[in-house]
Amino acid sequence: MGEVHAAAWRSTDAELIGCASAHLDQAEALASRYQMQTFADYAELLNEVEIVDICTPTPLHKPMVLQAAKAGKHVICEKPVALLAEDARAMILACKEAGVRFFVGMVVRFFPQYRLARELVANGQIGNLCVLRLKRVSYVPQKSLDNWYFDPTLSGGMVIDLMIHDFDYGRWLAGEVDRVYARRSRSEVGPAQYVQAILRFRSGAIALVEGGWAYPPGVFRTGLDLSGTGGLIEWNSDQPAPVLTFFPPTSHDTASVGLPVSGLGEDPYTAEIRHAYHAIQAGTNFEVTVEDALEALRISQAVEESLSTGKPVLL
Amino acid sequence: MPTRIGILSFAHLHAEGYQANLRAIPGVELIGFSHENGDEGRSFAEKYGLRWFSQHRDLLAAGLDGALICGENARHRELAEMAAEAKVPILCEKPIETNLADAKAMESICAKNGVWFMTAFPMRFAPSTQAVRAMIRKGELGNVLGVNGINHSEIPKGHRAWFADNNLAGGGAVMDHTVHLADLLRWCFAAEVVEVYAEIDIYPDEVKVDTAGLMLIMLSNGVQASIDCSWSRPTSYPRWGHLKMEVIGEQGTAVMDSFAQYLTLYSNNGLRNPSWIGFGPDPNQAMIEEFVASIQENREPRVTWNDGYQALRVALAAYESAKKKEPVRLDHPS
Repeated sequence: MGEVHAAAWRSTDAELIGCASAHLDQAEALASRYQMQTFADYAELLNEVEIVDICTPTPLHKPMVLQAAKAGKHVICEKPVALLAEDARAMILACKEAGVRFFVGMVVRFFPQYRLARELVANGQIGNLCVLRLKRVSYVPQKSLDNWYFDPTLSGGMVIDLMIHDFDYGRWLAGEVDRVYARRSRSEVGPAQYVQAILRFRSGAIALVEGGWAYPPGVFRTGLDLSGTGGLIEWNSDQPAPVLTFFPPTSHDTASVGLPVSGLGEDPYTAEIRHAYHAIQAGTNFEVTVEDALEALRISQAVEESLSTGKPVLL
Repeated sequence: MPTRIGILSFAHLHAEGYQANLRAIPGVELIGFSHENGDEGRSFAEKYGLRWFSQHRDLLAAGLDGALICGENARHRELAEMAAEAKVPILCEKPIETNLADAKAMESICAKNGVWFMTAFPMRFAPSTQAVRAMIRKGELGNVLGVNGINHSEIPKGHRAWFADNNLAGGGAVMDHTVHLADLLRWCFAAEVVEVYAEIDIYPDEVKVDTAGLMLIMLSNGVQASIDCSWSRPTSYPRWGHLKMEVIGEQGTAVMDSFAQYLTLYSNNGLRNPSWIGFGPDPNQAMIEEFVASIQENREPRVTWNDGYQALRVALAAYESAKKKEPVRLDHPS
């Protein structure tokens, strides 16, 4: 994700100072592509910047955000904000007390089709929301030397890392969640898993959220189906893109972690970074707040609890 | 000797399609239909050129080899009893009844009179479901991690008002749609539904029955599945709705949209604009043919009373779960 964010920053007028990574070779490769310095030490990097963008494995978010806040630097942090709600609260508090801005990259809110659907709902085009269906099913993160997504103690697992996007999006559409119930199936031989969760919103709407690391390598499907008292919005990633290509089969490498294809036009990761950057510069509100990120994490944790207890969980 | 078939009640809109299905089968004689409402009966008789009987018993007295029951859900038992007592094999519209006691009574009267009872689950006769079932049965998808099932439609009260009348339908979307996917899951996996969790609601004010249902289901083989039975398509949707099922396996995933073969019609005079007009095979035709074949061969039909009964249990468990706000277990004594 560091690579994706670096490319996004490149499209702003911000100066890319440098990067730090536990894997120095990775940092050097990124630095040479984007003409930045490398820092062996995070504290040294903090000394040189006004904004830090944290794309490390999730358990490092808290110490790194706290350190940045202490150094008086604005923070942009990948999702999930943390693995535990208590940690997220501590991070929010530390940034508030230090007077620095804190943005969590809930990138689905920057995908044009998700933004447009939200706008249509907010404008009353489909009336009051009734049944929502949200899909985000990918493949098992592919083995590589440093692929930490496998390890649930690092990534939080599929629910907290992947389904959190649709919990956040559902909440953006329909408001606070009252009750969740979920089911999971796991592979007996590998990390493949598939989860379906039913959410009941305080507004009365209900949602089926589907998530998984379950498809063959390279296949990532997303979709939304929003029904309201006065209409319906449908979209799914199986729909044809503006350009379809047909080539003879070759042995294409599969990306180590699936990212949804965003189509032509502005890349949502770029839109996200540009938004955060401009809001920090202008001192304006973020469109998605750290409190939103915290609530999405709380819904994910409730789903995890339902998965382990087999019972509905009230928020 | 032609096989003599009659349709008991035209209350269910499927009767209108079934009469055409029956007429397309060589060796079948469609004797007529019975319908108690005189205005409707005369109108259907004229529209389809069928003989109308104002009393169900009169149609049965005309001598039938088989009867289609297309009454309102809550009247299935009454019609089934009349047919069974007349020793006439039955093809009954789904859900087979609105409660378990009436459903069981239908089984016993059929057994007592030695007539076969077939439940109308047409989706078993669609090439799409048969292909997906074959993949599952042959293990081509590997260990199945889950199934995502969707049976959406518009609110059907525009077709028949009783669909949204709790006394006649026994419920709304959950009663209407759950049984199709519940049956496909039982049939594809040769397993029973052992647990149901559901969130159910009534959304627009204009109807008094449930219009939305999401459920998570556990099968006896450990496979989890979701069913979305909601009447969540607007009347402006290009078609009544759809039936979809995604089966996610460790070796592969099958994405099924049973009515995916359609043309998009843009017509200035169309009620729906655009509208999706299907060109795939009609599963109702194959289902009716199986019913006729079971009569001609004097054998049990390939979809039984128990299939209808088990699917009804799932729909009723969904209502119970939504009321209790907890998962409901279904037992299956061996």
